[in-house]
Amino acid sequence: MAEYLARRFVQLVLVLLAVTFMAFSAMNVLGDPLVNIVGPLAELDCEAVARGDVEATTSTLDNSRTDCEIVAEARAQYRLDEPFAKRYVLWLGDTLSGDLGTSFKNNLPVYDVLRTKFPVSLKLMIYAEVIALGVAIPLGIWGAYRAHRRTDRALAVTSFALLSVPNFALGVILLYLFALRWQWLPASYDDSSLLQEVKSLFLPALSLGLGLAATYQRLLRTDLVTTLQEDFVHMARAKGLPDRHIMLRHALRPSLFSVVTVFGVQTGALIGGSLVVENIFTIPGVGRELVTAVIRDDFPVVLGGVIVIAVAFVLINFLVDVFYTWLDPRVRAR
Amino acid sequence: MVLLSVRDLTVRFPTARGVVEAVNGVTFDLSQGQTLGIVGESGSGKSVTAKTLMNLLPRSAEVTGEVVFAGEDVRALAAAGRKHFWGVKMTMVFQDPMTSLNPVKRCGEQIAETLRYHLGLDRKRALGEATDLLEQVGVPDPSKRVTQYPHELSGGLRQRVVIAMALACEPELLIADEPTTAVDVTVQKHLLDLLDSLRRDRAMSMILITHNLGVAHGRCDEVAVMYGGRIMERAPAEALFADSRHPYTEALMRSIPRIDQPSHTRLDPIPGRPPELIDPPVRCVYSPRCCYARPDCLIDIPPMGGVQGAHTFACLHPANTPRGRAALAANVAAGASPTGLAVSADSLAGNLLGDDAAEVGADTGNGDHEGNAVAANEDLVQGG
Amino acid sequence: MKPGADISFSVASSDDLSATRNDDPQTALTFTEPDQGEDVADTVSRKLGTAFWVTIAWMTLVALAAVLAPWLPLEDPGKIGVGGTREGPSGSSWFGTDALGRDVFSRTVWGARISLFVGLLAIVMGMMIGGTLGIISGYFRGVIDQVISFVFFVFLSFPALVLALLITATINRSLITVSMTLGILAIAPVGRLARASTLQFAEREFVQAAKVLGARHDRIIIRELLPNVVIPMGALTLLGMGIAIVAEGGLAFLGLSVEGEAISWGKSVVDGSQARDLKNNPNVALFPIAVMFVTVLSLNFAGDRLREYFDVRETAF
Repeated sequence: MAEYLARRFVQLVLVLLAVTFMAFSAMNVLGDPLVNIVGPLAELDCEAVARGDVEATTSTLDNSRTDCEIVAEARAQYRLDEPFAKRYVLWLGDTLSGDLGTSFKNNLPVYDVLRTKFPVSLKLMIYAEVIALGVAIPLGIWGAYRAHRRTDRALAVTSFALLSVPNFALGVILLYLFALRWQWLPASYDDSSLLQEVKSLFLPALSLGLGLAATYQRLLRTDLVTTLQEDFVHMARAKGLPDRHIMLRHALRPSLFSVVTVFGVQTGALIGGSLVVENIFTIPGVGRELVTAVIRDDFPVVLGGVIVIAVAFVLINFLVDVFYTWLDPRVRAR
Repeated sequence: MVLLSVRDLTVRFPTARGVVEAVNGVTFDLSQGQTLGIVGESGSGKSVTAKTLMNLLPRSAEVTGEVVFAGEDVRALAAAGRKHFWGVKMTMVFQDPMTSLNPVKRCGEQIAETLRYHLGLDRKRALGEATDLLEQVGVPDPSKRVTQYPHELSGGLRQRVVIAMALACEPELLIADEPTTAVDVTVQKHLLDLLDSLRRDRAMSMILITHNLGVAHGRCDEVAVMYGGRIMERAPAEALFADSRHPYTEALMRSIPRIDQPSHTRLDPIPGRPPELIDPPVRCVYSPRCCYARPDCLIDIPPMGGVQGAHTFACLHPANTPRGRAALAANVAAGASPTGLAVSADSLAGNLLGDDAAEVGADTGNGDHEGNAVAANEDLVQGG
Repeated sequence: MKPGADISFSVASSDDLSATRNDDPQTALTFTEPDQGEDVADTVSRKLGTAFWVTIAWMTLVALAAVLAPWLPLEDPGKIGVGGTREGPSGSSWFGTDALGRDVFSRTVWGARISLFVGLLAIVMGMMIGGTLGIISGYFRGVIDQVISFVFFVFLSFPALVLALLITATINRSLITVSMTLGILAIAPVGRLARASTLQFAEREFVQAAKVLGARHDRIIIRELLPNVVIPMGALTLLGMGIAIVAEGGLAFLGLSVEGEAISWGKSVVDGSQARDLKNNPNVALFPIAVMFVTVLSLNFAGDRLREYFDVRETAF
């Protein structure tokens, strides 16, 4: 088992490396990194300024410095004069030591910016998963228990329809109905108290969670139907155990593999979805920060946000693998 | 005292292609402490019969007939009566110990849960009982085994765990559905002997389901041979083995190797294929594969004949009787049965015909029996 | 995982392919009776069914409207002040007007042009590149396979929308570049499917025979493998389009869809989604959402039926 987990871990680290490399090169190759960092200032002919041909302009953001000093500083901080490969390695070193750079727009360390945003995003996603699993597991069991009967068919149709609703559309519809029209729940994030936070995150979490719930419900129902045909279920019936006991104690656990696998996989979709939903419900999370940063061309924040997401994703998938070993004792033996 | 009485049990499954008549008019009695062997090839309805008794059929199954267990009509049990019936009074052991244990639960838990549910034992006592049970079924080092997962045990050990599980609540009737088919040949006999001795110790009744007459031999008080969803022949074990009447039983016996025959004795495969169970024609279900079949076999389903309560069989031309020999001789003379099955003296390997018929067959060609079996198959395919 | 479950191309699990072609005839807590030849095959219908044709009709309608938009008697979608602002649906403007008085119906029809184009181009690109890589990977095996598979794995291992964000954040967002970004995301899932199908067919007799007879690799790939791999991939085109259309919507919400005046469904929805707009005239957001939903539902349903029809077991999405 240790070997299996170690192999998975190495694999995930490789993925993480590849992803950081992709992110870093996207920022550096697609378009001029200097433009990404300092925006229009990159157009300045600083050599001319240095020669004295052009008059130096004072930065509008920071009166104590000239624009060209800012450009020079950016070049130094992002080592733009170094070759690309060296730049990547150095940047990776910084990142590993927790230094994600400094935002050029507001001069705050990216690490601090993201540290305040990350918990909100995490809460939202956990909330969404709780809703998704809370809905999907009972309904998956119910659907399998009543397989091919009316309830099951109704659940199947509902799931299928839900899967065709993009989560941003669901978000907009929920926002309109429950927050704006009927005003049952707040339309934006409010962390003044725990209750307010739970209430204000409900709609966004539901927007993310319902699609997931549909996915899980279908998987669980299908796997349960398969498991219920296993000999050990018939054996359990022959032992005279009640259906409820058989469903929950015998069939459920061996039927969770697909759900757990897809849980890890869907985390990627969940993260993508939360980027969007945070923007619909104005939730100050990583997603919203990322979008703001993209709009402002705040290169360090975008890169930092992507790294945080990548690490979270990889860690979650590793935890899923660990969870597997609990779920199936046969994996432990491997 | 009769423990289980089954009367005219019929099970049908509606499918897209038509109604499958899986079990048809099955009738038998089982006395307390006795063992009934149900023998037949796959598709004969023996497993469906067992599952019907255990209430394990899919909802779509249509069941008619009567199952009476210790005076109670099992199929009409009220909810309260059902709660502690299966698993307590009647239980079952399945064919494959690899799949009949839950892979994600420890062996001990799986035995203990039965005790906890039916007898209301607490977890600790139930696990203690489970350890004792494992010891009784001959599992070495039982206190270690209770904490192990099924995949950590060998096939033979797993089947012992399954048996312990089934015996936990001291059932009055154990149905063993091919209990040794999936385990190593070397442990088959051990398991069968174990079941036998456990049954004796507990004065338990048993239904032993097998496709192998050899397994039933010496372990059953009575044997029922099933074919195409029907009982073909039912008799006390000695009578059946010594003096079988139904041509199918006879064919089954000839298709198994026997230690008392010289080595390299040819085994006789049964020609043809298992019967079609969807909308079967009204005739003896075995007739297409039967070398005794005569035109009267194709008119109606033969009734159960013989000595009621002792040796019964559903055949118009029983083997080892003058009527049977005459039928066979007639078919040999014609070279084929009325269903188109090739019949020659050679293919019958001598003694079936008795002396008189052997003479008739002596000059009817020299095709070997394999060729005839193939020919019979082709005939069936063309005919079907 | 079904298409549309999220707004990104994300990894599929092959476990889940059974989710749609699951249905065994047996029910809960009961026995199958293999002895009796339970008829599993017959339950997977070999007909496409009425609902399939209804969804095809809807998709045809939407596609026609999108193609013919310039010639249809519609208001100019960008024209401000058509009959007044923030109006509800009426006979003259079926979906009402938005805050600037633009006709929502017209914007929805024109939005279909961009959304369908993005969806189509993305999946075509995914098919071409992903398909090629997948077949090469599955046919040649060895080091090539390992490298390509790892690249697929990396792409599939990461939140797709975040990748899309990375790319679109750094480029000029024209119709073509946005479509191509989504196309890049389609490469890995399509490629994985192509690889799986190729592996399956490469072992078959007709391919082995061609090899033994000394046929060249390119000939085997084009003449023997391609026709067989294209069928399962084709069945997934509709599903992939649905995902790409949804993904464009997600990008629109991040402000990263096609720049400028171009209207897509995603952008129309975003237009009407500000709290004030949504409260006062929900028609601006909800009508495009409804059209988008029905279209994506149709794509998913038809795609799913096709997949069943062609018996595609491996799923890519």
